[in-house]
Amino acid sequence: MARSHDSALKERMWLWLQLSPVLLILAVLFGGALVLAVVQSLGFAPWFGVNTFPSFQYFGALWGSVSFWQSLWLTLYYATVSTVIALVMGIALALALVRTFPGKHLYKYVYKLPLMIPYTVGIALAVIMLGNGGMISRLASFFGFISDPSHFPQILKTHAGWGIIAVYVWKQVPFITLAIYAVMLGIGRETEEAAAILGANRWQILSQVTLPQIMPGVVSSTLICFAFNVGAFEAPFILGGGFPDTLPVVAWRYFNDADYTLQLQGMATVVSIALVAGIILFSYLAIYRRFERKIGRN
Amino acid sequence: MARKFSNTALNNQLSGFQKVYLILIVGFILGPFLPLIIQSLAFRWAWPDLLPGTWWMEQREVSRMPLAWDYVLSPYSRILEATINTVVIGSIVTVICLAICLPAARVLARESFRGKSGFEFFLSLPLIVPEAAIGIALLMIFIRMGIAGSYLGIIIAHLIPTIPYMIRMLTAVYQGLGKDFEEQAMILGASRWQVLRLVTLPMLLPGVVAGALFTFLVSTNIFLLTFFLGQGKIITLPTLLFSKISGGTLDASAAGITLIVTLPGVILLIISERFIKEEAFGKGFGN
Repeated sequence: MARSHDSALKERMWLWLQLSPVLLILAVLFGGALVLAVVQSLGFAPWFGVNTFPSFQYFGALWGSVSFWQSLWLTLYYATVSTVIALVMGIALALALVRTFPGKHLYKYVYKLPLMIPYTVGIALAVIMLGNGGMISRLASFFGFISDPSHFPQILKTHAGWGIIAVYVWKQVPFITLAIYAVMLGIGRETEEAAAILGANRWQILSQVTLPQIMPGVVSSTLICFAFNVGAFEAPFILGGGFPDTLPVVAWRYFNDADYTLQLQGMATVVSIALVAGIILFSYLAIYRRFERKIGRN
Repeated sequence: MARKFSNTALNNQLSGFQKVYLILIVGFILGPFLPLIIQSLAFRWAWPDLLPGTWWMEQREVSRMPLAWDYVLSPYSRILEATINTVVIGSIVTVICLAICLPAARVLARESFRGKSGFEFFLSLPLIVPEAAIGIALLMIFIRMGIAGSYLGIIIAHLIPTIPYMIRMLTAVYQGLGKDFEEQAMILGASRWQVLRLVTLPMLLPGVVAGALFTFLVSTNIFLLTFFLGQGKIITLPTLLFSKISGGTLDASAAGITLIVTLPGVILLIISERFIKEEAFGKGFGN
């Protein structure tokens, strides 16, 4: 009896031992970074000679300024619009990819290209296509719409942010498509076929069979894309419209300010990003769980 | 009646709209590379010309300054340094990630234990916490530890976003594997080491290759963590390109560098299509 208890304990220790490297790295680095960000934003920074922990003055100063809310709005606006556009384009692409067509093998290489290359390449492409002296502006002149680059509607470096959105969409359509397409392959087409045989029309099959089936892929890929977009730095930094910037850029500016006490303000910004993203993603997941229960999936 | 049936039954051919859509998407994805290539070869490309007035090759003998591709391929562009850094960091991250994720994935796929779902949730957190949030805080830690701007710091940081993907892909592989073969080998008298070497690893290999490729891919694409934690001391391809285009303009040499930064992705794409099955990717993601 004692021996079996012993071996059970041993087994449990062996089990956690195998999990420990991953757990340790994520807990120390990822968890540690989060905890540090939170305590610093609450006024704990003895190495700067600042220790007012816990005080909410940095959050107060940050949340009390109008520019913070403008930055927050811009951050969420870019992230949401680009995720929604990429999702719609991705679903349409995945629906086309499950069909058979000539050249499909090659096509499956081509559409994944943005997945493989850094965002900065996407930004360079946005500059050369959408800039005032860019390719689309040249084409507009070629077809006689404009006669001077300054007549071309400003797309980059505006707060409407279509340049940023274009980069996110370009990079994330393949990602979302791949996630959804993979789920479709896993499910197969039998239920769609059954629906068709039972007399459902195309729209009914799409809305009542296919879309509910691919929801897991939709939710997980959009979660990841949205979170990335909220925290992304390079595209809004280069293609954004300047003050007010998105929150990650604001945090970076605080952090690089000569006045290092502003770093605490930067930390409050960073924690705000995580908080907002967390709240939005959790409500999104909660709504999704509810939807799953409603359609009878556990 | 028969005709009506063939109309309603599932259509496996592309509709007209879908054909157009597929072409538009290719245009959207590949189209911008065309002016990029032209730009990299241009010496003077004034608005609104659709093609450059003077090409790089024409000026090559005349000018004493290094031009576009001459500059890109010269040591001044630091492109070789950035490429080596990217590949070395990516490879080391992949090896470490694989080594620590394999045992964890095995446990997650086969055992049920208290706290498992909480653990799995924790593992996926790095995917949904914005990178900017951890990047800056991590920099504070690394500065104090003295590893900011070092290879060690960057490699450790790259583990954060790569572990969740690796765990998911490897767990899916282990789930598909089943315990039967290993048990049979044990019954037939194989030692633990023999089972691992002769049974488990060969069966795992396709999944391991896929996970490794994907991890390498994620690592080589990371910008923010490298940029924040590299402190300008260590450049990789994404951060090098960022410094060339951060002004919001793109000259010929920046276009050339963009093309070179794209190149490893193209190679990875060709390799990965052979090893990463779309279904495996779905198991890592969808459900």
